Parts: sequence; structure tokens; C-alpha cells
Amino acid sequence: MATDVVYRQHIKIVGPWILQNGGSESDVGDVFQEAMVVLYEKAQQEDFRLSCKIGTYLFAVCKYIWYKKLQGAQKQPGFLPDNAGNDEGRDWAYEDDVNAYKEREAHYQNLDIALDHLGEPCRSLLKAFYHNDKSMQEIAAEFGYTNPDNAKTQKYKCLNRLRKIFYGAQTKMR
Amino acid sequence: MISRDFNNWQLAEAFKAEMLPAVELAALQTRLETDPVFATEFHECVRMITALNESGKQKQFRNMLVNIHHDQTEKSTKPNWKVRTIPLRTHYLRTGAVAAGIALLTTLSTFWIVTHNEKKRSSQYSLLKRELETIKRSQSAIIRNINTPQNTTPVAPANFSGTGFAISNDGYFVTNYHVTEGADSVYIQNKEGEYFKAHLVTFDKTSDVAILKVQQSNFRFSKGEVPYTLAANKKTLGSKVFTLGYPQDEIVYNEGYISSKNGFLGDSMQYRLEIPAVPGQSGAPVVDNSGNVIGLITGKESESSGTTYAVSTKAIHRLIANSDLKLKLPKANKLSKLNREQQVEKLELYTYSVKVYKR
Repeated sequence: MATDVVYRQHIKIVGPWILQNGGSESDVGDVFQEAMVVLYEKAQQEDFRLSCKIGTYLFAVCKYIWYKKLQGAQKQPGFLPDNAGNDEGRDWAYEDDVNAYKEREAHYQNLDIALDHLGEPCRSLLKAFYHNDKSMQEIAAEFGYTNPDNAKTQKYKCLNRLRKIFYGAQTKMR
Repeated sequence: MISRDFNNWQLAEAFKAEMLPAVELAALQTRLETDPVFATEFHECVRMITALNESGKQKQFRNMLVNIHHDQTEKSTKPNWKVRTIPLRTHYLRTGAVAAGIALLTTLSTFWIVTHNEKKRSSQYSLLKRELETIKRSQSAIIRNINTPQNTTPVAPANFSGTGFAISNDGYFVTNYHVTEGADSVYIQNKEGEYFKAHLVTFDKTSDVAILKVQQSNFRFSKGEVPYTLAANKKTLGSKVFTLGYPQDEIVYNEGYISSKNGFLGDSMQYRLEIPAVPGQSGAPVVDNSGNVIGLITGKESESSGTTYAVSTKAIHRLIANSDLKLKLPKANKLSKLNREQQVEKLELYTYSVKVYKR
């Protein structure tokens, strides 16, 4: 699997760097996985194009994420290696990608909160369909609907309520 | 109503998946343009589905990553990239530990040296400090505490000693204010060991000068008039000076030079001197080469350095001018043509130890 290969290859490069800069092994996992998600999100875009090697991209993103993490924890990295952020004079390469990712992440989080407010069986049903990628047949069987069409009607009902909660909450916040 | 909502969702799903037939797509476009209520609803539906889809896919991707990570760490209990780990804090801790060790060593050795040298005065050190606090100076005041009472002392122990010098032969006498502060009674003692009771006439706490008068009538310090003069202006930087004081029962001579025209924290009423001084020398006269008294020793910087501070005689002049004392300061300097030994010999006669008794 492509992701598998990319992951195994590049954590070898990023891992030691984070360890050297005051991270633990669980930090390595967290930061690198986050960077992979950033890459994944970027790859979803239609105009996706990478102007450098995947490794370079991942390394730069990891550095940025790790730096921000240290900053958040009120401690500075002891030193930054010479090759940190030397991408054509920009301090942090691909900072925009990471920020876009963070924004989307917040959006998804709101969505998850709305889902949790939905109550059963809507929450499980929508999760099964969207998060676990189950077909309507499977869902109908699992949730005890007589046929997939009934399950589908239920799904639309749930979506309606979700929409009211999600956008209702958002208008309230504004 | 309900069915219309469901239609919206169906429509949105189909639209999202690009499964709408061309005719329906065109119909949708026109409806979106003409019906704004429907348009907002429809767009909300589309966005909702998109977000759900994408966050779902992302979650799946995350799960995959976690699995990969687990696989990797399980396969090789030790990660296959080996690296020497020096976590930051530990790194700093080590440096910090070394620094702290050095600091501790320095402190301890300084402490040892001080206590070793000042073994006899170890109990007096804290007394000096206490004296210090009361006069609110960080200099250590140079007063010697005498634990064993003299055989002829009129009052009980717990007393201090300093030094002072005559400013007129009929009994006026100058010392530091901090020597006499809180005194129950004050005696002055010459180098022969004779005691004379004195009382405080006037003082200036800020410049740390006190004028005493010997109570005994017909008292004379020595045969002649006071042979030295009190400098009215400050001496120049680098002038050689000497001093006589009573750090012990014997009179002690020291010499040095003016290292700064201003004293502690830039105090313009003081000099800064490089001259050895020990407790008991507070109030000792500081004399230049030609026999002018330029000041009196008042404190020192620390136990380990030779930096000493002296109050300028300007402070004495000012104090006398502000008081209504009928006091004739010496006008003639009889020391100027004598050599150092002869100067000291004369000065000795007018330099007394000050004994302060406190209850």
C-alpha cells in the first residue's frame, strides 16, 4: 500500500529529528501522522501538485507542526538545524497547508460535536454510513430496517436534524 | 414538506456524485437561480454531505496510519532507526547540575575561608550584620564586639567598640553615628587604657557622623592643640592615605589610597578607599600625606575585599555648621613637615577607642 510505504520510509527521517529536538517517541507518532494527514488533505484537492519530493514536504510540515507544538507548550527548541526552513528564504515552508488543515480540522470537530448531540440511532447510523463506509444494505440489517429504502429515509431524517443542529449552532455562535 | 426535504438530500447526493442526468442538472441550475430559499437549503445540504464524507475519509486514513504505526512498533520492539536520544531538559539539567556544583563549591570554600580566618569573630559577624540592617546600608559596619568585659569597664557586657579622633583639645570628638547608635553610655579610651565618659552632642544619621564631648571638666586630649586640620574639600583621586584605628586594644596603622571620589552607591559625602579595615575601625581618621584629616572610616564592601568607605570631613564641617556648637576647629596643620613615623606618633595622641555600652 502506498501510504504504508511512504510512512515507513519517511518516519525514519523525521523520527530522529524530533527525538533530537526534545520529543518523545509518542510525539514522533503524533506529529508524523498529523503531517501525513496534511499531505492527504492536500492530495484531495483537484489542483494538487507537489513542487518537491514527498520526503522534503513531510519533513518541512513536521518541523512546523513540532515547532508550533513546542511554542504552545512554552518551550523553545534547543536549536533548529541549519537546514530548517531554508525553502527560498521562507521561514516555514508549507505553513499555509498546515493552517488550512487546522481550520478544516476545527470544522470537522464541530461536525463531530453536532453528531454527538444528535442522539441514537441517528448518530450510529450516520457514523456507520460516513465514517465506516457501510452500504445501505448493511446498515438496514444492522439497525433492523425492513429494507435499504427505509434505512435511507431514516438517514435523510437524521441528516435533516443534523443540519438544523449544525447550522443552527453556527448561527447562534455568530 | 418532509418529502421535499428528502428530495433535497437525494438531489444533493446525486449532485455531489455527479450522477444527475443533464436535463435534471439544468433544471436544478435554473431553480437555484430563481429560488433563493431553496438555494441556501440546497447548498447547506451539499456542504453537509461533503463535510461528512471528507471527515469520514480522513478518519479512515487516520486509523490506517495508527495501524501502520502499531505494525511498525510491534514488528521491531526497538524502532529500526536508532538515534542517541538527548532530551532537552535532561541536557540542560546536566549543565545546570555542573553550574550548581561549581556555585556550591565556591560558596562552601568562601564560607570555609571566611570562617577559618574569622573563627574568633564568627559570633560578631552576625552582630555586624544586625548593625548593618539598622542603619540600612549594605556595607558592613566596622564595629568590634567585645565579648569579654574589660576589668575596668563600668557597665555590664554586650558592648561595641569603634574608633574616633579629637577635633578640639577641650574634649570634642568625632566618630561614626552607627558606633554610638542605641548607646546606653559611651566611654572613650586612649592607648594607655584610660577611660573617659563621653556623651553625644550632635549627629547626622544620613552621613553617619556623630560628635561626642568628654564630660570630665578640664579634660585635655593631649598637651598641645589638635595638630591636624580637617579638609574642607575633597581630595583628588589616587591620593595616598593612612589611618589609625582600634580593631583590637592596640592601635593599628594601615595605609592605602583613594580609589574613588564618591562612596557607596555614588554617595558624594563619602570616599571609596583601598585600605584594609576590620571591625572596630569605624570612625578611624583617614589622613593624607600632609597631615590633613580627609575623612573617617565608616564601612567596607565585604569581608573579603579591601574596599573601604570613608565619610568625608565635609560632612563634619556641615554638621558643625548646622549645629550651634561653640567649637573651634583646628586651624594650623603641624604635621605637614613631619615624616610618616612622626605624623603617626602625634596622631596617636588624639585617636581614641570608643566603647559603647548597651543594655
